[in-house]
Amino acid sequence: MPTDDIAFQKDSELRAKIDRSLRHPVMFFFASGATWLALSLLLGFISSAKAHSPTFLDGCGFLSYGRVYAAHLNLLVYGWGCQAAFGLVIWLMARLSRKECSAVGIILTAGHVWNFGVLVGFLGIIAGYGTGKPWMEFPVAVWPMLLLSYLFITVWSFVQFRCSEGGKIYVAQWYLVAALFWFPWIFLTAHLFVFVFNGHPVMAAAVNAWFKYALIFLFFTPVALGTAYYLVPKVTGRPIYSYALALFGFWALAVIGPWAGMQRLAGAPLPQFMPYLGAAATILILIPALAVGVNIIMTIRGHEDAVSASPSLRFALGGIVSFLTLGVLGLVLNTPGTLKLTQFSLTGYGYEILAIYGFFSMCAFGGIYFIVPRITRREWLSRRFISWHFWLTVYGVGTVVVCSIMGGLFQGQAQEAYGSAWMDAATRSYAYNIGTTIAWSFILFGSIFFLLHLLLMWARLGRRSQHPTLLKVDDHHEASPHGPEGDLDELQSAEA
Amino acid sequence: MSFKAFTLALMFSFGIPWLMIIVVPFSKMRHVEPIYFTEEADGRDDVYVPRRAGRIANGAAIYAANGCYICHTQLIRPSFAGSELGRPGWAGFKEQDDAGIPVDTRRETTPFDYVGESFAQIGLMRNGPDLSNVGGRIERYVKEDDADAKTPENWLFLHLYDPRKKVKAYWSTCPSQAHLFTTRNVYGQGSPDAVPGLGGEGEEVLPTDQALALASYLISMKKDDAVPYSINYRRDKKKAE
Repeated sequence: MPTDDIAFQKDSELRAKIDRSLRHPVMFFFASGATWLALSLLLGFISSAKAHSPTFLDGCGFLSYGRVYAAHLNLLVYGWGCQAAFGLVIWLMARLSRKECSAVGIILTAGHVWNFGVLVGFLGIIAGYGTGKPWMEFPVAVWPMLLLSYLFITVWSFVQFRCSEGGKIYVAQWYLVAALFWFPWIFLTAHLFVFVFNGHPVMAAAVNAWFKYALIFLFFTPVALGTAYYLVPKVTGRPIYSYALALFGFWALAVIGPWAGMQRLAGAPLPQFMPYLGAAATILILIPALAVGVNIIMTIRGHEDAVSASPSLRFALGGIVSFLTLGVLGLVLNTPGTLKLTQFSLTGYGYEILAIYGFFSMCAFGGIYFIVPRITRREWLSRRFISWHFWLTVYGVGTVVVCSIMGGLFQGQAQEAYGSAWMDAATRSYAYNIGTTIAWSFILFGSIFFLLHLLLMWARLGRRSQHPTLLKVDDHHEASPHGPEGDLDELQSAEA
Repeated sequence: MSFKAFTLALMFSFGIPWLMIIVVPFSKMRHVEPIYFTEEADGRDDVYVPRRAGRIANGAAIYAANGCYICHTQLIRPSFAGSELGRPGWAGFKEQDDAGIPVDTRRETTPFDYVGESFAQIGLMRNGPDLSNVGGRIERYVKEDDADAKTPENWLFLHLYDPRKKVKAYWSTCPSQAHLFTTRNVYGQGSPDAVPGLGGEGEEVLPTDQALALASYLISMKKDDAVPYSINYRRDKKKAE
């Protein structure tokens, strides 16, 4: 029908305009995020190697274990995690609200400020000016800079959402709006209560412990789920399996998430309901995890070829499986019996890495593999790079998580055996640390493929083709598996 | 669902826990009420003043900046949450004093144990031992016959410089903090501040100000004072007779 054709044409024009308007900021966030990620993984490898071989790279203060470990996690969270989230949020929100972005210059400027803050923070930590509050180790001057640039990066997405005309609101948008709403509240609360207000030292530690989990469950989780809820229906071409389940999963996360985190202080001198409420909430995270997991997996069901062919879908599904694992581990690791084993062992690290890397980053990679070809108008260069990135990430993260969780439980048991010598507990995690080191080198290797690939795409050296880079090739194809090569616009005009 | 209802629901679902576990407990714990010894329970009648001497604020900053909290905790949990009360030397000491009278100072952490700090370094992992009572332990180490250091500071300097120097600790994975020390050639009689037992021929190793602050902070962590009956959680605690 001609009217449909016109509507379709208009629609693609609008989408192309949106992609064009956002190409610089989104690519900037992805590329600088991926660079910080590679550095963070390198530091993760070094710190993990130092955990079992303390003389490795010994002798200079800026490479000492305590500073490298702190820098590793802070770069993972602020250098990579937040920037990947910004790229995803501004692109997804513009597309879902069907609005072009009109503040590209401000977003880019704010993005540079954010990166400058991360750089100052990183140098501050390794130079020995870290604050020593987990995930808040950047020197105190950095956080106002980060918060301010956050506001200038994301406020436009909020405006787009509010100004979108009459259309329906998608599930992905609930998650993105909620993430935009929660992040400044959490970030400001944590930094004010820890650095500015003068309170009891134990309570400051409690706020810090809450901050980590709040950031995981109320910022990284909703951004990752928003991405997954966008990608899965888009790639499989089916609506979401159950709208009611999606609604339930969203509100379950919103109600349960804010209570989690203080279980790190179980047994500390503060009102005892706080840590145990935190443990209970972390157990209950299994409920939204199940709701989302079932919903996404049921949407994909019957489209298994799409999962093996599409890099975006494959990564997104990997992320959702990690989220389910995160929910189950939350249940297993926070019961009163296991909490005393996991509170001060490697387990916490494994859980955080699973959340940030196994879950959030996998969903973010899925989003990046989907978004970048659309904004650069080039296709990914190499199928092999993508599949190496995928498998190295999956096996690497799996190994880090298994080693940390298992090693942590054994370590916790040895710690509890107070009659044995301390050496027994101190050396119990040795083998698992070696496993973690090897796994980090795999992840680092995979992420270097990703970084190179992304930088080539940023330089607009991607394939000029109409065919997306899929991981499974159709063997019956005669010439190139990707169809005719050439400039997309020329090919289209030749067809017309 | 309208946008207004959505925002309100988000504000409530986040705001209630925010008030209940952050804002209200924080403001209530800003001023912990003083605890008193009582005549019938403790045999004395005055206010409990947590005592801690040393460069607490400076040392805590060095402790934080070098990531000590990643592998060391500062928390003795009550027995329902963990069993470190039973580890020798961690929670206090059960020993005999000079007059041969049995003394037991073991107890779990109280809110007063972090006095002088702005952030309680609860810690992330126990790859190394808990440090709540490390000052007390070191005082006893230097009294041992085979001790290679005569003062707690020197014991700590040797340990920070090379945690695996002692044969008994060959398995330790503690990173060396040699960057907190400076090495220089000996001129004349040498510096009185040089750490005995460190440095090669014709060299001396001096602790920097950071190492001095860190050592002072670590030595301040002792569990040896008498606490009032009401916050003494020891299982075998007795009222004064």
